[in-house]
Amino acid sequence: MEILCLGLNHHTAPVELRERFAVPEGRLGEEAGRLLELPGVNEAVVLSTCNRTEYYAAVDDRHEGREQLREFLQSHAGRRLRAEHLYERERAEAARHLCRVVSGLDSMVLGETEVFGQVKRSYQAALERGATARTLNRLFQKAFGIGKKVRTMTGIQEGQTSVGSVAVDLAEKIFGHLRDSRVMVIGAGEMSRTTAQSLLSRGAHSIFVTNRSIERAEELAHELDGEAVRFDDWQRVLQEVDVVISSTGAPHAVVDREHVEAVRRMRRYRPLFFIDIAVPRDVDPAVGEIEEVYLYDIDTLQGLAAQAKDRREDQVRVCDRIIDEELAKSGLFHPEGNDESAGRDAGPELKGGEAAS
Amino acid sequence: METGMERWLLVGATVVVVLSGALGMQAVRSGHRSRWTMVLMTLAFLMQLGVLGIRGDLRGQCPLGDFGEILIFLAWSLVLFYLVVGSAYRISLLGLFTAPVVAVFQVVALAPGLLEATPERVAVVDPWREAHAAFSVLSYGAFALAAVAGLMFLVLNRQLKDHNLGTGLFRNMPPVPALLESVVRLTWLGVIILAVGLACGFLMKESASGPKLLAGVITWALYFVIMVVHAWRGMTPRRFSMGIMGVFVSSLLVFAFV
Repeated sequence: MEILCLGLNHHTAPVELRERFAVPEGRLGEEAGRLLELPGVNEAVVLSTCNRTEYYAAVDDRHEGREQLREFLQSHAGRRLRAEHLYERERAEAARHLCRVVSGLDSMVLGETEVFGQVKRSYQAALERGATARTLNRLFQKAFGIGKKVRTMTGIQEGQTSVGSVAVDLAEKIFGHLRDSRVMVIGAGEMSRTTAQSLLSRGAHSIFVTNRSIERAEELAHELDGEAVRFDDWQRVLQEVDVVISSTGAPHAVVDREHVEAVRRMRRYRPLFFIDIAVPRDVDPAVGEIEEVYLYDIDTLQGLAAQAKDRREDQVRVCDRIIDEELAKSGLFHPEGNDESAGRDAGPELKGGEAAS
Repeated sequence: METGMERWLLVGATVVVVLSGALGMQAVRSGHRSRWTMVLMTLAFLMQLGVLGIRGDLRGQCPLGDFGEILIFLAWSLVLFYLVVGSAYRISLLGLFTAPVVAVFQVVALAPGLLEATPERVAVVDPWREAHAAFSVLSYGAFALAAVAGLMFLVLNRQLKDHNLGTGLFRNMPPVPALLESVVRLTWLGVIILAVGLACGFLMKESASGPKLLAGVITWALYFVIMVVHAWRGMTPRRFSMGIMGVFVSSLLVFAFV
């Protein structure tokens, strides 16, 4: 019995095409059942998420099975499907691909956990429909085990790789849940807006926006469902907030040590997190010397983002190694099967002509 | 009970605690939390309980008759509060910081001469003295764990200040408020328990005066002042943590020499 995987995902196909292949969760089992009607296809699982639709099948002959699956997919498209939109994996490469999907290594957001549940539900639907048997049962059970191991043994889910996300992660590290945190945005620029939005999305409940032009402050405050503050009044608000995001175009420091010293007692020395994403910097570095203040400027945040990116790349390598080791131990594939060319884009066979829809 | 059994149990508890710390350290280095910390600390807690049970049986009273027993009781109360606070606040990393302190207490307790081989069985038990000793040492368990949480805050604070965020230790640290809140709650708990212990001390049949009781009263007063100042006018988290750690270490030193 040979294992095949044919599909398209966010790497290979635009959303306009992916949505044509999307299978509602309630119809996954039925769709797997339809695959069983194809000659030579003995088992099938259909996975459909917002980023991918993949067909896993256990077939008698992989060449014939691949042709059958291609035709099946093409009949779905309802328009001409280009070769590069599809990818094919066979045998060990199909198993490896499934393990990477389950582990979140093939996701748009690296390491995301939702896909694990989505694959489980897809498999469950096929199982209940009677579309799986020994081969795919063993493959999927093994993939779930490997997926769990990858998440337990690596930090693939950890670390953000953009300045805004790093700042928000730091805010969570400093304050825990952000639902009790108040935020002040100084300057109504784009970076301030996106960082403040990230904080809001993680639960920050109160946003104050101050800007030299009160109209711009009101505009952004409205967008963030916050409160606009006159620029000559921001020091008053400083005693209430936990996080300050500053991104003005001022040529000199806007926040001095004296500003913070003046409100420390009233703040009862609570921790205060400054995110200074302005160039030139808005917050005097001396502010960072105050005991309860944590000051991060754009260079520091970019450095942290780069570190996180490096760490993630390392983690991906570790995850791939775990997957390879576990698959080798599983005995799912025999050494006589030469799988070197088992993974490929649909290209070679489809090239020279686009698949008819 | 076979003589010396408690020493073997204590050795076992120490090995388990060291193992818990080592596994915790290894997990943190690879950027994860140790799944074994809580399990091993619970095992160590049960073994400590066994040691204290045997010693209590031998003495016919609360096992606080020599320096070794006081250290074991202190280590036991430290683990007890860790098990309560660590799980309630989801601060498993607290175990990593607690393990070395517990191990040191127990290793010192195992030193020759500190744990009497054949403790004298008391004829008459003064319940106030028993309660005084037990509550006082128990309060030190809470103070010790508060100091450990304070130390964790100082480490986290240093990392945040230095922008040194790439370590596994940082990634596994709880947030600042969780640490500070555990310091506050543990210290208040210690203040209340020590107040009960001191009150029992004044009700003892024998003289309630003496340097130990005086040191206890001063310790209680120092903690109380820190907590009132913190609650009333606020303190920087760093000073607060250092204050809590400072009182704990200095009071331990005082008790060691008084």
